[in-house]
Amino acid sequence: MPPRSRISVEVAKPPVDFAPSIVVAETASLAGTHRIRIAANTVIHPRAKLNSALGPITIGRHCIISERTQITAPDSQGLTIGDGVVVEVNAVVEAREVGEGTAVEVGVRIGKGAVVGKNCKLSPLTRVADAEVIPDNTVLYGAGERRVDASGTAGARRKLLERHVDSLRVLIPSNASKWMS
Amino acid sequence: MPPKQIKGEYIETDTGNKVSRKSVILGSQNIILGGKTIIQADCTIRGDLRRTVAPGQQSGNVAIAVGRYCFLSRSSVLRPPGKTHRGLYSYYPMKIGDHVFVGEGTVVEAALIGSYVHIGKDCGKFTIIKDCVRIEEGTVIAPNTVIPSFSVVAGRPGVVVDELPETAVEGLELKNIYRTI
Repeated sequence: MPPRSRISVEVAKPPVDFAPSIVVAETASLAGTHRIRIAANTVIHPRAKLNSALGPITIGRHCIISERTQITAPDSQGLTIGDGVVVEVNAVVEAREVGEGTAVEVGVRIGKGAVVGKNCKLSPLTRVADAEVIPDNTVLYGAGERRVDASGTAGARRKLLERHVDSLRVLIPSNASKWMS
Repeated sequence: MPPKQIKGEYIETDTGNKVSRKSVILGSQNIILGGKTIIQADCTIRGDLRRTVAPGQQSGNVAIAVGRYCFLSRSSVLRPPGKTHRGLYSYYPMKIGDHVFVGEGTVVEAALIGSYVHIGKDCGKFTIIKDCVRIEEGTVIAPNTVIPSFSVVAGRPGVVVDELPETAVEGLELKNIYRTI
């Protein structure tokens, strides 16, 4: 018996709109029927799942989408992820919008149609309810506590993130052409 | 006639590691398993995130080193920690001692984990966990934390809530679990 391929049968490939400088790992999964747009310098780790069955997904520049994440468009209005957003391992994002410079840490769940502002930090294992609106610069931590980050370090964080993206570009082999046809 | 070999869930290596066929191991050339370690299904190990070095420098090629009798439960993730140092973002090697238990769905980004450690869930970046520690389920350990020996850690962020008796080592041995699989 020949060994079976580990990658399951491909579901319909979604239409994609990729900038030339992005990194999409071979084993990342993009599914759905609506358009997935990914802007320049974004990294999609292996085994990340993007699903555009219900609406389009737009991802900004300098984003990092880690492995085992699920990025799903909540409805036909789609999901927009701003520039410089980091989505860490095991996170589930079904938001309407995730603002620029926001960090979504390990195991965070963002409910359907929620709107997360700019430069927020969602600490590991926190939850954002369905349709909730999180204002800019909010930090979610612990068991649902919140505070406003007034340190104004968003610019510095962004610089570090750009370096992170540069290093990942070397480490992760990209296979964007697999999705373009 | 030799008995027919049953194609089980696990692949056994020469040193007695049992690795599930359904686990996701990336960059296996950068991973060292000490022997008698069990890796369960759906477990992700990111060996591809190795150290990035300036050209001409000797490159360290070990990303993750795991000791003997470790147990990585289903859906757990081992991922080397990364940071920017002197303007260059790099991942740093992760070392795990012997008899380390990693619970289901846990994400480990620690720099160092000693021996006889029991981790329930989630662990922050660049943490150093010394020998004989118990981390309860649902604990989030802040980045760069150092956890002393014989402590019990719980909460978000994880703090030391209790101490383990010196006899706890026996209870944390994983030789018996290894035999059952």
